[in-house]
Amino acid sequence: MAPLKSLEKEYPLIDSNFQSFCSSHGIFSVEDFLLHDLDALIAFADNHPTSQTLKQGIDQLLSTIDALQPPLLNGLQLLEDAQRNKHVLLTGCERIDALLGGGLREGQLTELVGPSSSGKTQACLLSASTVAKHNSSVIYLDTGNSFSPQRIASFVGQSSGHVFDNQVDHILKKVLDRIICYSVFDVYQMFDVLHQLKSNLRSEIVKSNQHVRLLIVDSISSLITPILGGSGPQGHALMISAGFLLKKLAHENNIAVLVTNHVVGGEDGISKPALGESWKSVPHVRLLFSRDFGSNVCHISVLKHPSMASARAASSTLYL
Amino acid sequence: MEVGMLPISASKRGKLLAAGYTTLDAIARASPTHLARDIDVSDSEASEILSLATKASSALERERPNGTHTAVVGGGQTAWDMLNEEKFSSCITTSCVDLDNILGGGIKCKEVTEIGGVPGIGKTQIGIQLAVNVQIPQEYGGLGGKAIYIDTEGSFMVERVLQIAEACIEDMAEYSHQFHKDFQACDVKVHPNNILENIFYFRVCSYTEQIALINYLDKFIMENKDVKIIIVDSVTFHFRQDFDDMALRTRLLSEMALKLMKLAKKFCLAIVMLNQVTTKYVEGSFQLTLALGDSWSHSCTNRIILFWNGNERHAFIDKSPSLKSASAPYSVTTRGIRNSTSSSKRIKMM
Repeated sequence: MAPLKSLEKEYPLIDSNFQSFCSSHGIFSVEDFLLHDLDALIAFADNHPTSQTLKQGIDQLLSTIDALQPPLLNGLQLLEDAQRNKHVLLTGCERIDALLGGGLREGQLTELVGPSSSGKTQACLLSASTVAKHNSSVIYLDTGNSFSPQRIASFVGQSSGHVFDNQVDHILKKVLDRIICYSVFDVYQMFDVLHQLKSNLRSEIVKSNQHVRLLIVDSISSLITPILGGSGPQGHALMISAGFLLKKLAHENNIAVLVTNHVVGGEDGISKPALGESWKSVPHVRLLFSRDFGSNVCHISVLKHPSMASARAASSTLYL
Repeated sequence: MEVGMLPISASKRGKLLAAGYTTLDAIARASPTHLARDIDVSDSEASEILSLATKASSALERERPNGTHTAVVGGGQTAWDMLNEEKFSSCITTSCVDLDNILGGGIKCKEVTEIGGVPGIGKTQIGIQLAVNVQIPQEYGGLGGKAIYIDTEGSFMVERVLQIAEACIEDMAEYSHQFHKDFQACDVKVHPNNILENIFYFRVCSYTEQIALINYLDKFIMENKDVKIIIVDSVTFHFRQDFDDMALRTRLLSEMALKLMKLAKKFCLAIVMLNQVTTKYVEGSFQLTLALGDSWSHSCTNRIILFWNGNERHAFIDKSPSLKSASAPYSVTTRGIRNSTSSSKRIKMM
C-alpha cells in the first residue's frame, strides 16, 4: 500500500491534480483510499472541474486493486482441486501413514512435536528419503546441523534391497540429488529462502522429476524462540507470518510442509508444545512424539487432525 | 513482501508503517531524502533502510542461471554433495578407542556436541584432551588445527594441559616408531609448548561477556582460520544463578545456540559444550537431566551423557542424527582420557 505519489510513474492518471484532490479529503496512501467512503468521493469528484479525469483515476485505482486479489473459488472447485492436485505423500513408516490417514497431504502443514531425541528429525529424514525415491524434490531447511546424508543413504539402501551393488550407487545419487538442504540460522534467512522459493515456483516451468513436493523445516521452534516474547509483539507477528507463508506455499504449489517443534514445561510438570497458544491453530496436523528413556521405541499420537479423531496413537521402532 | 520481515528496529518499523510504507516495493520506490523526511530519521539511516529493502526485493527477482540442474532456490546443497563431503571430513579423536568407536571416529566437525554429567566425571578433562588432540598433525591422522577454550568456571589448569600434551606427544612418537621403524621419522617435531601456544583461552565472568564473546568469535576465526574446535566449559555456569527473567534466559540461550550452529557450519569446525546436571520431576520420580531446560536440549546436534556405572565412568550417546545409541567406558588417567583399564588387554595404538 504505497503512498499515492509513488504510483504516478506507472499510472499517469494518478497525477498531481488527482493527488491534491485526494489529499484534500485526507487520502495520502492507497490504504486511506480504500478506507474512505468511495461514493462520497465520487460525488465530490462530480462537482470538481476536472471530474472526468478524476473519475477515471478512481476507476484505475480500483481496477488495479482488484487485479491483485486472488480468485474466488466455490466449494466444488475446491473439491476438484483437492482431488486432482492434493495427493498424499508416503512417509516411509506405515504406522505414521496410518495415523495421518494415508500420509502427508499436499497443501497441509504438518507439525511434529516432541522432547529432545524423540525421533522427530529421524521422521523428517525418513519422509525426505521416501518422497525423493518417488521422483519428487525435497527442500530441507536445517537449523541445527542435523541433516545427515548418511542416514538418508541408509534409509534408501534399506528399502531398495533387491538391487545389485553396482546399481545402488546410481540410484543413491539420483535420490540424493533430489534433496536440497539449506542451513538457516536466523528467522530472516528462512524468510529469504521461502520468498525466493515462492517466486521461483510461481515463474518456472518444471520438469516432472524436479517438482518440489515436500518442504521440511527442522526445527522452526529454534528459529522463533529467540524472538518470541520480549518487549514487543514483533516476534509473534513474525511467527504467524511464517505460518501463513508456509501454508500459502503449501496450498498454491501443492507442497506438503513438515515442521518440527519442541516442548516446554507447562502446569503440573506436564509438557506442552512450544511456541504458545497462537501457534496452536497454525498447523493443520499435529503429531506428538515421545520416547522412553533407553529404548528404541517411539510413541506417536495425534494431537490435531482436520479429518480424523485425535488422541489416536501408534508406536514405532527406530531402526539403525 | 512485508516490511515486518526486514531486520530493522521496532521503532523504525513503526515509523515506516505509520507513514504508509507497508511493502518493500513502496520503500524501494522512494528516494532516500523523501524517506528520511517521511519517517523523520537521518539520511544515513534512510539509505540503510533502502539498501536493505532493495537487497531483499532484488533477491526475489534474481534471475535463475541457465542450467537445468540448478537448485530450485540458490544457496543450498544437494544431499549427494553433502554425502561426498562427509567422506572427506575428519573427526577429532578423544584418545579413548571405545569412545571413538561409538562416536564413529570421534567428535565430528560442523556439528555442535553437548557433553554433560555430574561434577567430577571428567568433563573438563575431556575438554582439555580435545583441545590437545585437535592439534595432532595430519601425518598422524589428526586435523592439525588450533583450539579455542572458553572457560566460565575457572577450571582450566595449565599444568594439566602440559601433562596431557606431553603424553600426547609421547604417544605420537610411539606410533611413528611402531609404523615407520626408521629413526628419522621418530622425531616428532611438535613440542609441548607449541601445543600450549595453539590453544586460545578466553575467560568469561558473566553471561553478557559470554554472549559478547560468541558474537566476537566470527571475526576472530576469520583472522585465525585454522581454529578447528571451540570448547565452552561450561555453557551453564553463568545462566544458572540469579537469573530472574526466565523468558529472557530462554531467548538468549536459543540465540546463542543458533550463533554457535552458524559458526560450526560456516567455518567447518567442531563445537563442544560442557553442561551440568540438575534434577527433574518426571512421572512421579526425580531424574537427573542436563541443566538449562527443555528448550536448550534442542540446541545441540549430538548429546553425550557421562555417568558412573559402579566404579567406572561411562559415556552414553543420548542424541544424534546418525549414530546409534550406545555407551562406552572410559577412564581419566595422568596421561589424559584413555580406555577404561578393565577393557584394555593390550597396549592400544592411537
